[in-house]
Amino acid sequence: MKPRFLEGVRICDLTWAGAGPFCTKIFSDFGADVIKVESTRRLDSVRIGGPFKDRKFGVNRSGYFASRNTGKKSVVLDMKSERGREILHELIRCSDVISNNFAPGAMERLGLSYESVCAIRPDIVYLSMPMYGASGPRAQLPGVGMTISAVTGLMWSTAYRDGDPVGPGTHYPDHAANPYHAAFAVLAALRRRRLTGVGAKIDLSQVESTTNFIGAAVVQCAMEGRDRPQIGNASEEAAPHGIYRGAGEDDWIAVAITTDEEWRRLAPFIGLDGARGLDRATERIARRGELDQVLGKWLADQDATAAAERLRAAGVPAAVVAHSQYLIERDAHLAGRGYWQRVEHPELGRSLYASPPYRIDGERVELSRPPLLGEHTREVLASLLGRSEAELDELETTRVFT
Amino acid sequence: MTAPNDSGSAPVLRPYENVRILDMTYRYGSYAGRLFADLGAEVIRVEPPGGLPDRIAAERGGSAAQARFLFFNASKKSAVLDLDRAEDLSGFDRLAKGAAIVFIERGGPMYDRIAHLRAVAPQAVVTAISPFGMTGPLADAPASDLVLQAAGGIAWLSGRIGEAPLSLPFEQATMVASIYAAAVTAIALVDAETKGSGHLIDVSAQECIAHSLQNALQVWDLEQRISMRGGEGTRDATEDIFPCKDGFVFLAAPLALGASFQSLVQYMKDLGHPSGEKLCELRWQDREWRLTRQAREAFRAIFTDFTQHYDRETLTQAAIEYRIVLSPVSRVSDIFNDPQLVHRGFFGTTMQLEDGRRIAFPGPPYNVTPPIWDVSQPAALGSWRRDG
Repeated sequence: MKPRFLEGVRICDLTWAGAGPFCTKIFSDFGADVIKVESTRRLDSVRIGGPFKDRKFGVNRSGYFASRNTGKKSVVLDMKSERGREILHELIRCSDVISNNFAPGAMERLGLSYESVCAIRPDIVYLSMPMYGASGPRAQLPGVGMTISAVTGLMWSTAYRDGDPVGPGTHYPDHAANPYHAAFAVLAALRRRRLTGVGAKIDLSQVESTTNFIGAAVVQCAMEGRDRPQIGNASEEAAPHGIYRGAGEDDWIAVAITTDEEWRRLAPFIGLDGARGLDRATERIARRGELDQVLGKWLADQDATAAAERLRAAGVPAAVVAHSQYLIERDAHLAGRGYWQRVEHPELGRSLYASPPYRIDGERVELSRPPLLGEHTREVLASLLGRSEAELDELETTRVFT
Repeated sequence: MTAPNDSGSAPVLRPYENVRILDMTYRYGSYAGRLFADLGAEVIRVEPPGGLPDRIAAERGGSAAQARFLFFNASKKSAVLDLDRAEDLSGFDRLAKGAAIVFIERGGPMYDRIAHLRAVAPQAVVTAISPFGMTGPLADAPASDLVLQAAGGIAWLSGRIGEAPLSLPFEQATMVASIYAAAVTAIALVDAETKGSGHLIDVSAQECIAHSLQNALQVWDLEQRISMRGGEGTRDATEDIFPCKDGFVFLAAPLALGASFQSLVQYMKDLGHPSGEKLCELRWQDREWRLTRQAREAFRAIFTDFTQHYDRETLTQAAIEYRIVLSPVSRVSDIFNDPQLVHRGFFGTTMQLEDGRRIAFPGPPYNVTPPIWDVSQPAALGSWRRDG
């Protein structure tokens, strides 16, 4: 299905890199008109960051960019020129939302403060999502996804052992917490606007958003006055609970026993059926090291996929630790649910996309391809702003479209 | 109920005021209803006698279960209905007829009675959250947060080469599944209210995680490379955690990231530290070399020779002044005193525990003006009545 649930919503999208575009992508995937305003002078960092089709660099060849920008239009404008700004103001005038994820102050320098934008479009929904929020003593601290993990405690707590933080291997807050909190806030603001006619200013501090993503741990810390220990894949509430090596090179299996019943199902596999003093979680947690050793030894000789299947069939939560190739080529469940889509693109060819992670009325949301840089500049200015071909030629000649 | 308006003028309607949501989630979907409840929806947990599993765990278990219950169920109400009794099922049906959204979860009430639910509430968006989705070979497979992080691909991406992959802490499968569920439900509600007919949304936690892997899927599809944990072979030598005088800082100064590297070098030179000069050697301009283990080890030696003399606060202030992408590596307990969060009053809300103590509670994930967010204590079991 190509859902048009958000048809009629237009976003003037100034976001770039990871978190911002991932937020506005959900709107374009559901039929909103998302106009990505870009600059050829300062390219979106994910356009110039890989991976690239056939490992060949090109501003339209980045898979990372493609995955964050499906279904959008791309308009290139010199936003620092007077005429570029005029056009941008016209785009804002016919938009419901303006979005950015710049550092605090950048929008003001472009003449696009909330107040300035309200003067153009009084009922605008104005989304900003800087790392630490718009104001405060650390508002100007430069950041990326990993610095957000660092200051929230997420990095500290992703660790094998005490006092040795490792952190998430990705800019994790950019890929769920922050884009989707932002999208939810915009949807709420649009709903209120439908009911009241009043727009909204959304200041999404990515640190505050991510702090909510570890909210239960924050509450626990406030309750106990201590940090949860750094214990890797283990759990304070369950055992055995970990990631264990399989027989293949760098093959791993996750097993988590979260109930006594699951323990009774696992025990026969590892020769502990009926073993005394292991019936209750507290007993197993106390003997965590011993149990990890026994389970690890049993799994070490086994094919990871087969072992996970055997355990699951017996009612034990288990899974192969999947990497990208495994997910795409070997995960029969994801394939069976039609999770993968191939979408034709002039430079990327029939490249792969993960579907939005749900089915609606039994169907997948069918994605539209991401835009080439500046692909829709003339089309948008003609259809939306009524510019003539001659005007467009002149704007192109005078390098406003850069 | 309306949110206060900071101008003191007429109160502002909250976005989901007059929207009734029935919430029968207890784990992977439990944050979704919370998001709606904080923005004005009447979110009623429909619980069996004794409560849903998260309430039972909180009553029986330790502080982790209690904290989860408090965080995920704040602002929600609670009704008790025994759906195996005809009378209570009729009561549920009446409630569902007036609901705009119904959240259900595998293993919870109504998950195996979706046809009935949709028949009595054709107007509602029914969002079903489950570990692996409602269909497919693993639809009924046992799961846990750790197992879903493994099956979805995020566990593979963290950790160190030579050690096991490392899962993310604090129930991230729950968080990711819930946030995707909330967003798509809000979108589907727009359509349901426009057309007068609801939708059934089947949210898979595994798929939600697989949708949040940065660029790992594209790296395989386009370049036939498997992204490795710790960014081995792909991450710049500077992008790492480094010890300092009183803990750790995280630094990101690849050449592609603006002026972060140049600013770092300048900062060290301004302080007269020899590490600044060392990083001016030509090899540090070689982007490919900077991805190697040799570069990583060399940078670590040079940089920690510098950072060992400074504490996190000093380095953080320098990061602000020089525009270096560097930040302190905080513990969870540090964030209550984070100067930025203190300045913004992020922990201005408190919650009461059963023993009477009040504790700091996370503020909103977004600041909206005019304000729309508010939070309240989770409701006692069965405290909701039709009349209030």
